[in-house]
Amino acid sequence: MSRIRRRPRVLAGSVWPGREVDGYANLIAARLRKLAAAGSTGLLPVSGPAEGAIILRGGSVVHAESSRTSPQRTGDPAALGLALRGSVGVVAGLLAATEPTIDAATELLSSKSRYARFRRSDVSLAVQPPSIPVTALLTEVERRHQVLSQLAVIVTADTAVIRTRSLAWPRLQVSAPQWALVVGMADGMTPRGVAMKLGRSVFATTIEVYRLIELGLLAVPGRESPPADGRSTALAFLRAVHNERCTDG
Amino acid sequence: MILPAADELLAPVTAIDGFRLGCLIDASTGMVLASKENPGGSPPMSAVAGAGAADIVYVLTLLSGRLATGERLQDVTVTFSDSFFMVRPVGLDEESQILLLIMADRQRTNLAMAHRTIRDFCASLGS
Repeated sequence: MSRIRRRPRVLAGSVWPGREVDGYANLIAARLRKLAAAGSTGLLPVSGPAEGAIILRGGSVVHAESSRTSPQRTGDPAALGLALRGSVGVVAGLLAATEPTIDAATELLSSKSRYARFRRSDVSLAVQPPSIPVTALLTEVERRHQVLSQLAVIVTADTAVIRTRSLAWPRLQVSAPQWALVVGMADGMTPRGVAMKLGRSVFATTIEVYRLIELGLLAVPGRESPPADGRSTALAFLRAVHNERCTDG
Repeated sequence: MILPAADELLAPVTAIDGFRLGCLIDASTGMVLASKENPGGSPPMSAVAGAGAADIVYVLTLLSGRLATGERLQDVTVTFSDSFFMVRPVGLDEESQILLLIMADRQRTNLAMAHRTIRDFCASLGS
């Protein structure tokens, strides 16, 4: 896996200067659609705010990695062994194996990213990952961008967050993963920072930090009241899907 | 769907009378992992239904977080004029963030039987 992580960074140095994505016509998405239609196998290097690469096999995405998200934990039993069991482990294992790819793609397909020449060769991976249809990946990335846009009113992946000193509620109940996040969150850390530290998804961690802010366990320094510009501060996955359909239509 | 390989896992719940839609959803991100729809049903709705289910569970989690009674969500059933909307966390593990959503025709579904099938399905996945 370390070989895979080094390679895109080298390749990303040869990015074509004219391949900038302006957010209106997402060239990386268009390129991925073309590669999928052709059933391509190989590696698409991407540079910009996040460096990385998207790896395709037979026209489907099998892996993506970014310098701004957590790498896949190849030794993680949830990502490897559980996928072989006939239990919830199948789903949890598939999720653990695909979330790093989707998380990385969410970063790579930002409005300021560029892609380099597609390298047509099969890239060996440490594990046999599940393949994700390009259309499904692009739809999910668009939905995540909509969710992050909602959250940006309160917190982004790069917003410094602190633990609150006094709680507004006499008692609070959190899940074990939430508590691990609170414990792992040193003052001034960002959701991205704690996600990288804990090896979690940056997207999921940003949402979880937002939820802990809602519960009053975490806070953004200097921001005590909702923004006055009338924008909604509530996270709604449903609104992200609605916006996506409006955009398509 | 993001994980076509997981769609077949939902085969047992399609046996529910009046079955319209089944989804596995990652509650932490709202992502629909796998889905199965009744072939003769309405246009694809798993993205919207999955997002709605994740939002409902989030609100209920916020509620239980503030009530702090030490309880965990077991299931949610919403009754519409024409359909049932049922959500249940998959597995018994507290860290399990995967939800099962079932939408079924209200006129054709025996709610008790549907709950039993859903409970057994979730337990079998969690064993």
